[in-house]
Amino acid sequence: MTQDQPLLAVQEALRKCFPVVEEQQGLWQSALRDCPPLLASLSNLAEQLQAAQNLRFEDVPSLRAFPDLQERLRRKQLAAGDTLLDRLGERLAALLKVRDVVSSHVEHVLQVYEQHADMISLDAVLQASAASPSVAEMLEWLQDIERHYRSLYLKRKYLLSSIQWGDLGNIQALPKAWDRISEDEHPDLVRDILLNVSFFLEE
Amino acid sequence: MEAKTLGSATPRKPVLSVSARKIKDNAADWHNLILKWETLNDGGFATANNIANLKISLLSKDTIGLESSSLASDENAEKEHPEYSRELEMLCEGLQTTLDALTKIQMKMEKLSSTTKGICELEDYHYGEERKRPPLFHTWPTAYFYEVSRKLSDMYGRELRLKRTVVEQLAHTADRDLALSYLSMWLHQPYVEGDSRLLLESMLLETGHRAL
Repeated sequence: MTQDQPLLAVQEALRKCFPVVEEQQGLWQSALRDCPPLLASLSNLAEQLQAAQNLRFEDVPSLRAFPDLQERLRRKQLAAGDTLLDRLGERLAALLKVRDVVSSHVEHVLQVYEQHADMISLDAVLQASAASPSVAEMLEWLQDIERHYRSLYLKRKYLLSSIQWGDLGNIQALPKAWDRISEDEHPDLVRDILLNVSFFLEE
Repeated sequence: MEAKTLGSATPRKPVLSVSARKIKDNAADWHNLILKWETLNDGGFATANNIANLKISLLSKDTIGLESSSLASDENAEKEHPEYSRELEMLCEGLQTTLDALTKIQMKMEKLSSTTKGICELEDYHYGEERKRPPLFHTWPTAYFYEVSRKLSDMYGRELRLKRTVVEQLAHTADRDLALSYLSMWLHQPYVEGDSRLLLESMLLETGHRAL
């Protein structure tokens, strides 16, 4: 009984952690879902800025009555762009929060494991059953999940920090670049892991 | 008796004066007119967008045509695709209807400004040179309501002129950058300045439509 105690403590920590991952995955997905329309708008706006830049307003007879139009239009377009960037920034902050919440929970589980590691036999750590994966496997999965969020957050942050109004071509290409990140990611990683532990969680 | 006087340190008229009521109504009208304007602007943008897309697809058909006959022009393309021109015509009529509605709104805005001006003149007549005029609501002197109305009315007036140009030109432009810029102008309303929202909101706050 006392011999099982340390193993039970780790399993308990795992049982608390996976539901948090599940909840955070929902938040992650919903923050991600908001992004493509915002990026499409941003790309569209870059196209408008480019079009106005290509145009010589003074050469368009019907626009001569509006001498300050080009500057005014540009100011409004950039203001709209800033609003979109703010909204994207909020989504990115939501992704960061998921990353941090998951990290701290995974870290906690690893701490619990380390505290008890000396008292748990290797066999016990590696032992899997029909219903439950081994503790070792589950710890590894948690680390996979943590790395997954870390890397995807970084890639997206890096992409969004590359946005500059001076480089309209880059902004127009944002939706595609974003999709490429989504293609690279293992879309079902978290879901598959959660499926693998579903019986363990019900035990 | 004394306590009562102390209690009402900021004297509030229980019933708004006729001028105050009129100005309060005007503020509400401003709010509603701008709201209607925005709705029309959104609807108009959808129509303008369709016009531009149709126009651009016509132009690209035209370019393909150019390979075989160098004489093809914008007009020819429309003649060659009568179904497109009919659709284009209908869309243009739709946009014109939107413009007409916007014009009506802007006329109402002008009227609001002129009634506010009338109220100011009435006050001038009433108080003459007298310096001490109690504000109608919290802090704004009555003339400030006219100033704000005038500013808003001018912004929307200039915006309307620009929109009229867009409606006249959009379907006739053969340049993609220009078509896209017309669309962008319609959408972003460069003459409705950023502080218009603030002007309106502060007017609603002053007149008590918005709680402090």
